[in-house]
Amino acid sequence: MAERQVAELGAGAACVGWNHCGRRLAAGAVDGFVSVYDSQPSPSSKWQAHEHAILNIVWLPPDYGDAIACVCADGTLSLWEEISEDDQLPTWRKCKVFESGNSHILNVTAYSDGQVKVYELLDSLELDKWQLQAEFQNITDPVSRSGKPTCTSASIAWSPRRGESQQASFAIGFNSDSPNFNSCKIWEFEEAHQRWLPLVELGSPQDKGDIVRAVAWAPNIGRPYEIIAVATCKGIAIWHIGLSAESDGSLSTENVAVLSGHDGEVLQLEWDMGGMTLASTGGDGMVKLWQANLNGVWHEQAVLDCNVSH
Amino acid sequence: MPGMLMDSGGAIVPFSGEPGLAAAAAPPVRTIRHGVTPPISRVYVSFSSGNLLQVACLRPPNPEGGGDRGEEEVAGGRVVEVNLGGGGGGPAGADAEEEIDEAEMRRIEYGSVPAFALLQSRKNALADGSGMSRLPSVSEHAEWWQYVLEYSKTIGSLLGNPDSLPAFMIDDPEIILKVREKPTSLKAAWELLEIFFVDKQLQTWLPERLVDWLADYDSLLTKTQNTIYRMLSNFQKKLINLQVVEDDPDYWSGLSAALSVGWLDIVVNMLRFHGSYQLDQMDSRETENGLVEAVAVLVSTMPRMRPDLPSGKLGQCCKTRPDFIKALEKWRGQGFEGMHQLAQKCIQLKPSADNSGLTGLLTGILSENTEVVLAECTKNFGPWMVTHAMELLTADNDYADMMLHEERPNFGGISIEELHRLVYAQVLCSHALTWQIAPTYLSSCLNQGLGLLEILLLKQPIQDNRIILKTLEICRLYELENVSTNIMKIAGIYHWKHGRKGTGVYWFQQANDKVRLDRIAQQLFEHIGKSVTDDSFKQWEGLLELLGSDIGSAGGLEFLHRYRDFKRSLQMAQEGRTAESVRQTVEFLIQLMRNPSTPQRFWLPLLHDSVRLLNCKPCPSLSVAETTLLLNKLQELSLAKLRPDFSNIHLPSHALNSVRLALASNLARAILEEPSQKRFPTTELTGLPLFCFWVYSLSDIDTNASARNAHTLTSMNTLTLTLLL
Repeated sequence: MAERQVAELGAGAACVGWNHCGRRLAAGAVDGFVSVYDSQPSPSSKWQAHEHAILNIVWLPPDYGDAIACVCADGTLSLWEEISEDDQLPTWRKCKVFESGNSHILNVTAYSDGQVKVYELLDSLELDKWQLQAEFQNITDPVSRSGKPTCTSASIAWSPRRGESQQASFAIGFNSDSPNFNSCKIWEFEEAHQRWLPLVELGSPQDKGDIVRAVAWAPNIGRPYEIIAVATCKGIAIWHIGLSAESDGSLSTENVAVLSGHDGEVLQLEWDMGGMTLASTGGDGMVKLWQANLNGVWHEQAVLDCNVSH
Repeated sequence: MPGMLMDSGGAIVPFSGEPGLAAAAAPPVRTIRHGVTPPISRVYVSFSSGNLLQVACLRPPNPEGGGDRGEEEVAGGRVVEVNLGGGGGGPAGADAEEEIDEAEMRRIEYGSVPAFALLQSRKNALADGSGMSRLPSVSEHAEWWQYVLEYSKTIGSLLGNPDSLPAFMIDDPEIILKVREKPTSLKAAWELLEIFFVDKQLQTWLPERLVDWLADYDSLLTKTQNTIYRMLSNFQKKLINLQVVEDDPDYWSGLSAALSVGWLDIVVNMLRFHGSYQLDQMDSRETENGLVEAVAVLVSTMPRMRPDLPSGKLGQCCKTRPDFIKALEKWRGQGFEGMHQLAQKCIQLKPSADNSGLTGLLTGILSENTEVVLAECTKNFGPWMVTHAMELLTADNDYADMMLHEERPNFGGISIEELHRLVYAQVLCSHALTWQIAPTYLSSCLNQGLGLLEILLLKQPIQDNRIILKTLEICRLYELENVSTNIMKIAGIYHWKHGRKGTGVYWFQQANDKVRLDRIAQQLFEHIGKSVTDDSFKQWEGLLELLGSDIGSAGGLEFLHRYRDFKRSLQMAQEGRTAESVRQTVEFLIQLMRNPSTPQRFWLPLLHDSVRLLNCKPCPSLSVAETTLLLNKLQELSLAKLRPDFSNIHLPSHALNSVRLALASNLARAILEEPSQKRFPTTELTGLPLFCFWVYSLSDIDTNASARNAHTLTSMNTLTLTLLL
């Protein structure tokens, strides 16, 4: 049961992201440097991606090659890809910079004015060419539009699509300076009209105003419903979302559990490959593992304490 | 995943014994030894394959931005990988883990695959057949339990020495217990399940079978409390120093303990240590010795209800119950009792705090509580045991069959059996050496197995070609075409981006990825367009070869293949200059220019390539009609130039002019060569028609000349040049 050391991070490391198979990882630092690790304690590549601190690093899906997106403290978002010629050592190349976004996963950027922009790749071989596929206001409440709340932070989780037939959709956790508009919504792309539609909002009226810390969409290996975990200050809410619409066209949503356990805020949510175990990390330096039993009751299965050094 | 960290109470099993207890109990806390000096400011996690969780522990970043990079750099954090399911997928129970190391467990895991797969296929065959025989479940079939027994024996033999030879020796009078390889709890538990749940032949002599089992595994039952094995083993150590054994109370307690569980050979052996047997005592202790010997004889002829006895074992076999009762009455009449305690002894075995799980398992079995049996297996022996033992539990037990196969809507619609197979598959996925046997178990799951298998396959690293081939083989086996297509596309893009263009194209071809192949073809056009006449030809020729002859698969490829043929032919023509090769090249050129799939922006480069060919003397390379076609294309091109979307290819500025000149002179010569040519189609031409028409009329005059001379041609070229300029 011993831990295996994977990588030694350099000074100032601020964020870490793993690739799809979990064998490569990229770390962003406060000085704007990015290091990539390949099963070796020291990085295989290191370069300065930004002038300012890197806040988040995300790997693109493997269909695009080995590429990462870096979110910088100055609001820019840069895409980098690994390339090599013949037998040369691989190098990382800057492909694209999106200006002044503030939170991002894959090709959705949530902007500080509450807009959500969806970009799509024009050419599957070139990561340089993106086009704005859609742009919409995340706040759908008509009254709110006049207020122009400013987004303070956002987190996005794409639905793990299982086939070409399934529509693209994502959940966005949205926080603004007007707490009324904090929410976690699911958007789905409607092929027929080529537009994004808000499907459901995860949260009950009394939860309005809770800051959404993290969102994670579980892989679905055959359940008749989707599972999404949403972390707010009240804990981690587990939601079941029906796959087929009800008679009135709406989707059934059910909050099956609210899990509390972290001392302080939850910072990250992560599902295992079967969507059966949820791992959460918190400001308390703990990793908690959550599972449902056969009766569908969620409970804390185990705790990994990272606060002690040996 | 469920099933990890088994000491957490095994909440996944509906263990009704302690309602709500498992969930309410505090979860186990495991300290992560990452070696980073506290404080830890932030933790990131990511699941890789199976139960492997990568944990990144970060220190608070220095606000100065790590300005002091250099030799004194303080680590910013560390990333460690934690296996949540226990090392190497072995049983998570602490005792079992001590007993079986990783490599041994992997041997067991690999060895059990064929037996499991065979049993599943037999089950499926019976289930298919039962549609006609209308038997409600597979276990109703007469042959089923024999299949399960065969399976159980195969698995059992993997867990250790299959023959349960007597653990105790009687050959050497000084040795009670034979020193032998330590038995494992895993094997003990497996045999116990087999005895009680599968082997119908054993039902009549169950207590005797239990005696045999105890002989093999009694030592494992508890670590702190005395087992009979330990009692005897301790006594044996003492034996060397004992002068008079019968004065030691341990001698008698050992005797009675061994007798109480029916280890007759031990009892007889121990009786013969009695002091009265010693040669110098014989005379004075004759009566006493006679009594001891009578007891020994009596013990050795104790009736036992079992079909046979291994050689060296004592007792008198009775095959049927009436025989046994009769023999027992007779035997009891001779003065002994004790056998009746045997069953009680087993039932009353008290579970203790440190037991290896065998006593708990025994309690569950004897109280006929399948949930407890399952919970004990989960808790003490881990996912491998539960997954494989499930077949034993359901072999002849309707309740277990129902309980384990019932689909649970609260758990995504899967049964307990499926859940445990998924859990075990995740354990297998957690190691690079075992992930490839996980598909066998996943494919046996009705509802979610293939879903997990797809994710597993897509998570495999594509950098290693052998892993790709293995993954694709599994896809083919389970007919997961869309997964294999995805993997090929991912492999394709990986190699393409890393400078191995050929391998990239190969995988795109395999994936039938028209979009990307078209894009690659387009990139080739662009590449070719930039340096169409230089030796870069060689570079992309190989790639084109790879793109294959299946030119229907992508539009751009058709052009490229024709272009390749043209280029090859052109080279040959320019080197050899045989009339045949020139003619061939011209044909390729005309085909290319006629073909609608040839992009317009390549017209000029193609013609520019052909300038030397067109200027080839003495005879014209192209016929009048062919030249006209090319001239038309040039005309079309100059019109297209005016459109905003015209894509310009970098050719020398004089390219167009040299093509025009070559075409014009070729036309002139062609006209001279073709006396029988009908009217020359001039209608579409602008700019040049006047000249052409003039050339045409001029040639009319000269038509009947028997031979043209070089002078005429030269002057015509000069004229052409003048006109064009």
